[in-house]
This record gives sequence, structure tokens and C-alpha cells, in this order.
Amino acid sequence: MRRATTLTLLLLLATLLLAACGREEPDTEQLGFYAFGTLVDLSLYPAGQYDVEAIGTAVQEELEILHTSWHAWEPGSLGRTNELLALQGEFSAPPSVLPLIERGREMEALSEGLFNPALGRLVAAWGFHQDDPQGPPPDEATLAELLDAPPSMQDIERNGVRLRGNHPDLQLDFGGLAKGLAVERVLDLLAELGVEAAIFNAGGDLMTLGRPETRPWRVGIRHPHGGVLGSIELDAGEALFTSGDYERGYDWEGERIHHVIDPRTGRPSRGIDSATVLHHDPALADAAATTLMIAGPEAWPEYARKMGIDHALVVLEDRIEATPALADRVQPGRDREPFVVRELP
Amino acid sequence: MNAGRLRWGDALIGSLAAGIVVAAFVLAYTPAGDARVLVISQAGVAPQHEPLDRARVLEVQGPAGITRIEIEPGRARCADSPGRQDICESSGWLQAHGDVAVSLPNRLTLQVLGTDPGFDSMHY
Repeated sequence: MRRATTLTLLLLLATLLLAACGREEPDTEQLGFYAFGTLVDLSLYPAGQYDVEAIGTAVQEELEILHTSWHAWEPGSLGRTNELLALQGEFSAPPSVLPLIERGREMEALSEGLFNPALGRLVAAWGFHQDDPQGPPPDEATLAELLDAPPSMQDIERNGVRLRGNHPDLQLDFGGLAKGLAVERVLDLLAELGVEAAIFNAGGDLMTLGRPETRPWRVGIRHPHGGVLGSIELDAGEALFTSGDYERGYDWEGERIHHVIDPRTGRPSRGIDSATVLHHDPALADAAATTLMIAGPEAWPEYARKMGIDHALVVLEDRIEATPALADRVQPGRDREPFVVRELP
Repeated sequence: MNAGRLRWGDALIGSLAAGIVVAAFVLAYTPAGDARVLVISQAGVAPQHEPLDRARVLEVQGPAGITRIEIEPGRARCADSPGRQDICESSGWLQAHGDVAVSLPNRLTLQVLGTDPGFDSMHY
């Protein structure tokens, strides 16, 4: 009896010991590479179930195709489309650019023109159509010319696969949308490859596919001024996108020139350092993050509502503002002030 | 007859075993203080883990040149990296769990880990 009691006790303690030691075992596998002009990180769940190398190769190949097709200034399908749009005659569009054009139209309408992918010429004038952006910024005369009756996505006439440009300055640049669509494609590909659950992270913007069996995904959110802003638990099929003034830019005569151009002023947006959006549609999350940054500190909740965004957060110089829905979900980082909650109008 | 009772030796063994279990849980579940390890992830290469226990300088070769990483107890920083915009260097000292610096030209990320549960991914 005594021996049985002792053995039972030891067995119980040994089981508990195994439970304690087992915590550190990662249940995901990580894969990192460079594609789509950025660093890509893939977390696959459960660990040990997949041919990670084959999945990495397939994702990389898909991203390279999309990167070439959708690049705003290098030769490719979008480059060729821009050349033909400028001629203002009818032509057959490469199939790969049609989804971009359709989603671009939709986002322009939802944002009431704050997100305008037809303004590639304006973006180029600020020196952002090169890998290493640099000045000089456009002078006042050039800006005035570019803002005089500027093109919009409505200046593209579409009849099936046939397109026609109706504005001489029309030049498409899908920065702020292409990555969202690429993320959507990659998640479809991962599902086709039999991946049960994953996080696909492209240069910091990410989306989940499924979720681990016994826990949510845990994601840290970096503060644009350094450190961790907070953390969030994500469920299956949620995309988190941020647009920030730190992503691409250059300094010119003491001023930071960043890549998010406000179509109302023709200049880099002001007042919001970064905008983060959580949504199940990655293309919408991508475009909405850019739109909220352009909208500015006063109007961002109004544009969030217009675009159907409930979960958003913006970083200003002295505070972080969030919608009630996102404030409920993000756990602020250590030593961070609580978020200022802004109701949607 | 005392067949149903534990003797002092049984109690000693049981106490020691219970102590080991408690210690294992404490080690596994208690936050570990400040940053403990720097994870250097470079595209196409297995992540490199460097403990933040003593001062030293690391040099990582990438496609655009060398990224120089300074490590001090509890923190690390990207001291020098290719690229005219100094994005990697401007991240400053990485010392809180999850702090990250990115060098796109050299296709690498630096992230410190230590406190709180680990993240599956970092949004930036």
C-alpha cells in the first residue's frame, strides 16, 4: 500500500514535470526569405508536418511573378499597361493587372478619392519611382500642373479585357494595394498546398490562415518610434496592415519626405505617423491603412467608417488613438500610455 | 503494522520531487526579466541566436555588404548597415521583448526576445 502510494505520487509529479518542460517546444516552423521587394516570414502550424522547402519555393515563385507583373516602374505587365493607357487608344490588358484595376477602382470609390492609384505621375515626381528614393521634390509649378484636373481610376474605360485611358497624365501605381492582393494570393496558394494554419508576413504586413488548435496567433506590433506598441491575438483569416511615414522616404533640407502622398495637396501626408487596420480582406486593410494616414488626425475615424473599417489605430506624435473595437483587442506594451479611444461617427 | 503510512525517506523523496516540479514551472512560466537573446534572421539562412549576456560586436555579411551589430548585456543595436536611409540604425537600442530592426538591403531582421510569451510574428 505504502509502495503504491509513493509510486503514484512520483508518477504524478513526473507527469507535471513533463508538462512544465514541454512548454518551450515551438509548435510552429519558421521560414524567411526575400521576395516582392521585402523580407517575407512564414510561420507554419503544426511544426514537422510540411515540406517547408517546397512550400517556401512555391511561395517565392508566386511572389516573384506578382512582383514583376505589378511593379510600378520596372518593365512588366503594369509598366506595359501604363504605356498603352498613355496612348489613349483601346488595347487588350494583361490579365494579371485587371484585378488590381478593379480593386483600385473600388478603393478609390470607398475612400472618396483619398486613395487614388491613378496618380503614379505625382508619386514619381516626388522621387519614389526608384529603389532608393531621393529628391529633389517637385517645384511649385510642377505640383500645380499635376494637381490641375488630375486623373482618377474613372479615367480608365473597361470593356471586358479591353481598356482605354482617357487622361494624358494617367499612370497607375498600386503601392498601398498590391501587397494586400499578393498576401491574398499567397494564402490561397498555402491552402492549395495543404497548409492547415500559417501566418504570412510580408515586410511587416501579415495575414493568418487558420489557427493553431489550442491557442490564438500571438502578434507583436512594433511602435513606429521604436519598441513594441502592443500585442494582439489573431483568429483565422485576419489581416493586419500598417502604412507609416518611416517605410520609404528621404530627408530634404531638414524635412522628412515620405511616400504617402495626399492627393488633395499633392504633398506627403501630415499629422499621422502610422495607421494600422485589422480586417479579413487584406487588400481593403492595405488600402484603408494608406487612406487613414492621408485623412489626418481629425478625419481618420470618418474615413474608417466610409471604408467599413471597425478595427483601426493611428500613431500620432504624442498619443495613440484607436477605434473602440481595436482598443479592446490590443494589449498595450509595457510602459505605454493607454490608447485614446475615438468613436466612429 | 505501519504498512499504509509513509516513512521519513518516502516523505523526503516526495518533497524533493515536488520541489523539482515547482522549480520547473517557475523557470518555464515566469517572465525572464529584460531581453535575453538576439535573433538574427537572414533570408534563406537559419536564424542565429545570440545571448545578450556580454558586450561584443558581430558582423553579418549580406548581399549589400556588412551589417555591424553591437551587443551589450540586455540590449543590442544595428550599429552600421548598408543603405542610405539608415533605417536599420535608426531603430536604436533593442532592449524590450519584441524590439526589431530591419535591414532590407542586407535582407535581415534583428529581434530581441526575453520577457512575455513569444510572438508568432511581428507586425511593423
